[in-house]
Amino acid sequence: MKAKDGVIDLLNRILTANLTAINQYFIHSKMCENWGYERLHHKVCKRSFDEMKDAEEIIEHTLYLEGVPNMQRLGTVQVGETVPEQFTLDLKAEQEMLKLYTEGVTHCAKVGDYTTRHKLEDMQKDTDDHIDWIETQQELIKQVGLEKYLAEQIKKEGS
Amino acid sequence: MKAKVGVVDFLNKVVTLELTAVHQYLLHAALCKNWGYERLQHEFHELGMEEVGHASKLIDHILYLEGTPDVQKLGSVKSGPNVSKLFEENLTFEQEDANLLREAITHAAKVGDYTTRHKLEEMIKETDEHIDWFETQLRAIKQVGVENYLSEQVKKES
Repeated sequence: MKAKDGVIDLLNRILTANLTAINQYFIHSKMCENWGYERLHHKVCKRSFDEMKDAEEIIEHTLYLEGVPNMQRLGTVQVGETVPEQFTLDLKAEQEMLKLYTEGVTHCAKVGDYTTRHKLEDMQKDTDDHIDWIETQQELIKQVGLEKYLAEQIKKEGS
Repeated sequence: MKAKVGVVDFLNKVVTLELTAVHQYLLHAALCKNWGYERLQHEFHELGMEEVGHASKLIDHILYLEGTPDVQKLGSVKSGPNVSKLFEENLTFEQEDANLLREAITHAAKVGDYTTRHKLEEMIKETDEHIDWFETQLRAIKQVGVENYLSEQVKKES
């Protein structure tokens, strides 16, 4: 099926954001593992895989719309040197992604592409969940203090 | 533990290659799905996940060596208009991967970093298996013809 005006371009911009987020969360999760924060390692790694699933869906949908997915672009991967810094940078990445999704949803509704809109809305929901989680961690650090927060990250849940 | 001279550089070069491979296989899996070749979609997806595993191990090891993993670089992602072309591109890609790994292994041995060497040797084994797989597919296409080959790729092995 041929894509409506501007849809492929939007999907490719979202794809770039997703591919960048995969790398950013992946390196953060690996750093947490290296620091001994098993719980965070696990949580952040899952976030990276969520982004990979989104990227996969965007690529497949772009091909379905007879467009060419751009796999060659990568945004700036912002690496945090401490856990709070990582949260700040990941929150920024998620908020930018949310903005892109909102733009995409509005555009798709305007040109009448409701399938793409629906897909983007689903992804937007995941992004909201990610933002909520990061904000909760930041609030927790404020309330209990960084040291106590980090001490709770050493063991993975359920182990 | 502090890394020996040049080891982190080599590891980062391999990271770039693995991350590029992830993008390439992600794309090829989606292309095969779009063309209706479910078996190949599945194979490419598996290859992509193996490369994620490699990148993961390399980054872990770089951090252990107190180096900085570089996840900002991306090599050239190759694609193609049909399955045969994808196979050819991937074969070249995996061969380059093997060459780089061989260089890195030689270097690690030279500076006496046997842990890194051992890790890279495990990776090159899997890279060799990928090369073998692509060569096999290309040979099969030559022997049975591309149409017969492709018609066997429509259904995933169960």
